[in-house]
Amino acid sequence: MILHELSTTRNDFAHFTGWEIKPEGLCQGDICVPAPDAVRGDGSVDVVAVADRLGMPVVHDAENNVWSLGPATLSGHALITAAAPDVPLTSFDGTPFMLSSLRGRKVILAAWASY
Amino acid sequence: MTVALDVNIEHARPWHDRAACTHPSVVDTTHATNAAFGFLNIPMAVWIDENGNLVRPAESASIERSPLRDIDIPEGLPERLQLMYQSVKDIPDDGEAYRAAILDWVTKGADSIFALRPHEVIERSQPRSTNEAQAAACFDLGNYLRTEIGPDAAVHWWKEAHRLHPKNLTYKRQAWTLVTTPEGATENDLMQGPNDVYETNLLDEVLDSGGFSAFIVRPQL
Repeated sequence: MILHELSTTRNDFAHFTGWEIKPEGLCQGDICVPAPDAVRGDGSVDVVAVADRLGMPVVHDAENNVWSLGPATLSGHALITAAAPDVPLTSFDGTPFMLSSLRGRKVILAAWASY
Repeated sequence: MTVALDVNIEHARPWHDRAACTHPSVVDTTHATNAAFGFLNIPMAVWIDENGNLVRPAESASIERSPLRDIDIPEGLPERLQLMYQSVKDIPDDGEAYRAAILDWVTKGADSIFALRPHEVIERSQPRSTNEAQAAACFDLGNYLRTEIGPDAAVHWWKEAHRLHPKNLTYKRQAWTLVTTPEGATENDLMQGPNDVYETNLLDEVLDSGGFSAFIVRPQL
C-alpha cells in the first residue's frame, strides 16, 4: 500500500491490505488481532501502530517522501487466513474487478504474464 | 479466471485479445497477488471454493505438457539460446496430475482429496519472513515511482525487492523485460538480458540457481 503520510482511512486500509478495523481489532477472515491503538482520535488509521501489530514492514523513499506498507508476517506464511482477500485487480476495460463477485462459484485463479 | 501480472495493461492486452477468453480475464498491475497469495512465478494458481475460501495455496499450475519440453534443440544456435532451450526442457512437468486434480475438485468439491483444510492451506502457503514482506513493499514502491516519475525511479527499489526475495521470479522478470523490450515492440525479449540496468538476467539467474526448478513450487498432490 502506497502512502503519503503515516496515516490513512479505514476504507483505504481495508481495500489495500485486506484487514478491516473492527471493535475486536484488526480482522481478516476469521482472524482478529487486538489493536486498541489502531485508530486515532480523528478517526484515521495510525499506520505505524497497525504495522507493528501485524508485522508489516514500512519502507520510506525519503527523496519523494512516499511510504510503502508491505504485507503482514504474522503467520510466517503468505497466508494468515484461508479467506481469499479482494486484491486490487483491473479488467481489460480499465474498471476494477472484485474477486468476491465470483462468490458462489469454484474459482481457479491462475497467474500469467506477457513476459 | 486468469490474472496477468503486468504493470502495464497494454503489454498483456494482445494475449488477452487473441485468447478471446470466455472466463474472467483481468490484470494485476501492482503484483498485489504476489503479496496476497504468495505467487513467485508464472504460471501459478490458487483454488477458491464457493464460499470465498482458499482450498489450495499458490503452486505451479501448468495443465498440459508444454511442446517446448520435447523440442529438439536446433543445432547452430548461439550458446546462450541453446542453454535457455535446455533449461526450459528441464522444467519439471506436473501438468497431467495437476489437471486431473482440478477435475477431481470440480466434481467432488470439499470431498476431493485435493481440497485442503484451512490450516493446511495456510501451512502450505509460501514462507513469509520480514525480508519477503519488505520485498513486496519495495516492489510496490518502485512501481509507484515508475508511474509517477519515470522508469529509472523504479530501479533502486526493484533491485532491493530482488535482493530481499531472490526466489520471486516475477519481480525480476517484470523488471528485466521493461529494460530489454522496447516500448511498442510486438514481441518480448524472452531472454531478458543481459542488460545495463540490473546486475542479473533470466538465463544467468536460472543457471546460477541450478535451473528453473529453484523458482517453481511443485504442487504436492
